[in-house]
Amino acid sequence: MASLSDAITVVRPRSGRWESLALLLATLAVIAGVAGYVALRPQKAGPPIPLSWQVRSFDGLGAVDQAIHSALLPAGEEIIWFNNDTGGWITLEHAQKLLLPPFYRDGFWKTHGEVQWQLILPGTHQAHGLSGDAHAPADPSANQVSQATQGQGATVYYGAGGRATGQSAYLLVIGHAHAGVMWANQATIWVHPDPNAPYPGIVKPESLVGDGWRQVIPYDGTSEVERVKGTQP
Amino acid sequence: MTTATQRPSRWRRCLALLMLMPVVALAGTATASGKPLRIGVTLHPYYSFVANIVGDRAQVIALIPPEANPHNYQPQPDDITRAMNLDVLVVNGIGHDEWAFQIVKAAGRTATLPIIQANASVALIPIAGDQSGVKVVNPHTFVSTTAAIQQVFEIARRLGELDPDNAATYRHNALAYAARIRELRARFMTRFAALDLSAFRCATTHAGYDYLMQEFGLFVSAVIEPRHGVAPTARQLANTIEAIKRANVRVLFAEKNFSLDLAKPIEAATGVKVFALSHITGNAYSADEFEVAMAENLETLAQAIEFTQPARSTP
Repeated sequence: MASLSDAITVVRPRSGRWESLALLLATLAVIAGVAGYVALRPQKAGPPIPLSWQVRSFDGLGAVDQAIHSALLPAGEEIIWFNNDTGGWITLEHAQKLLLPPFYRDGFWKTHGEVQWQLILPGTHQAHGLSGDAHAPADPSANQVSQATQGQGATVYYGAGGRATGQSAYLLVIGHAHAGVMWANQATIWVHPDPNAPYPGIVKPESLVGDGWRQVIPYDGTSEVERVKGTQP
Repeated sequence: MTTATQRPSRWRRCLALLMLMPVVALAGTATASGKPLRIGVTLHPYYSFVANIVGDRAQVIALIPPEANPHNYQPQPDDITRAMNLDVLVVNGIGHDEWAFQIVKAAGRTATLPIIQANASVALIPIAGDQSGVKVVNPHTFVSTTAAIQQVFEIARRLGELDPDNAATYRHNALAYAARIRELRARFMTRFAALDLSAFRCATTHAGYDYLMQEFGLFVSAVIEPRHGVAPTARQLANTIEAIKRANVRVLFAEKNFSLDLAKPIEAATGVKVFALSHITGNAYSADEFEVAMAENLETLAQAIEFTQPARSTP
């Protein structure tokens, strides 16, 4: 009587199992390819990444700060237009007549902490008074005054004393071309975590950063279009 | 003698040609040829903004029919014809009028039609309520007063660059229009000043009103649509109802010109009172549409806040 093992004939693949090996290698190649693509695929532009002294308006500010920042942006534009047309600045009294938020003392002002605003005009800054920037030298090589007083030709709307929970202090800094500032005739907005932070005196960026102020980077429509569609021509 | 008389004549001709060159170069643009700009707009609010900025100095042309719903619009052949004849197009650009770019492409104007992104300098905010922890950009910047003014300024500035002869007029008109919008807002701010807003909590069916709420320091506790224009699943709806109950929400803002299908079951399940706000779409295009619609929205908002005020005890 023959045993069971004698009755079983093992049939070896003629190719010597190379198909299994090939399938394994192909699987590994696909996995490596997908992993490589995931690791190296082109990244879409994201929101601007804030530096240590900056904060994003979109996700870095509380609701009250965000609302005041949103109001300061068009206010800054209107102030600049007013200055271009008249040579003057919108005073806080004038802002009441213009109903201009966030300075106008209405329901918005009340629900957003009743911030006390001050207007600091060029020439009234601590260092600005010494600069004589009204006679800024035309010769670039002799532009030491502009360098030394960079930012001090700025007009500043300073807001502090807000009572809302988690509220900041605010600076709307409007640069002035004649003082040689880098953001001439443009407004930048700064916040300080202490709602009662004193007026910084010197509004040069490096001084503001040293005093704990942070520049607010608006996440605006241009940034969003770039995020979704890439850089536009 | 003959040569001497010919030379000045030739010089004069060359000089005249040189003087004419800039005119010839600019002959293709509408303003250089004395024609007013033909400014296309995609959404109703932008018609109002641009009409108030340009006055009679330019022509405002709506790209799509007034009754069209921009949320699910499919471009039509007439839109393409209109796009072919525009000098510039004003768009929202961040989520309401993607179809405009299809129309411009179909019209063969991608490379030649200047686009004004009205939101270019507006500080965007995220959609309120729980979006699964993700901050999603809210594109409804035109349902507001402050962000609307910022867009008016942006449009005026860009139009001034394209049409320098009228830049001062555009800026002057933009400032006057902004002043009118602020007067409208101030009227309601005075009314709100007497009310207690601290306990006001609301939900919205559509994430269209965050910019408006922000201006009044109001808080949106929940948005029913999980994404812009997307209906919630049964599970998402149940979660939202739970969130509304938890946050003690008493007011639900629905969309005036759209279906109230979403609002009704939530009203029944939670007892919230439904108010309808306008998305500023669906009526005839007009210069005053934005102000009229915003006045209605502010009136509705005031009524909703007054509804939530604690009842005064009678002596």
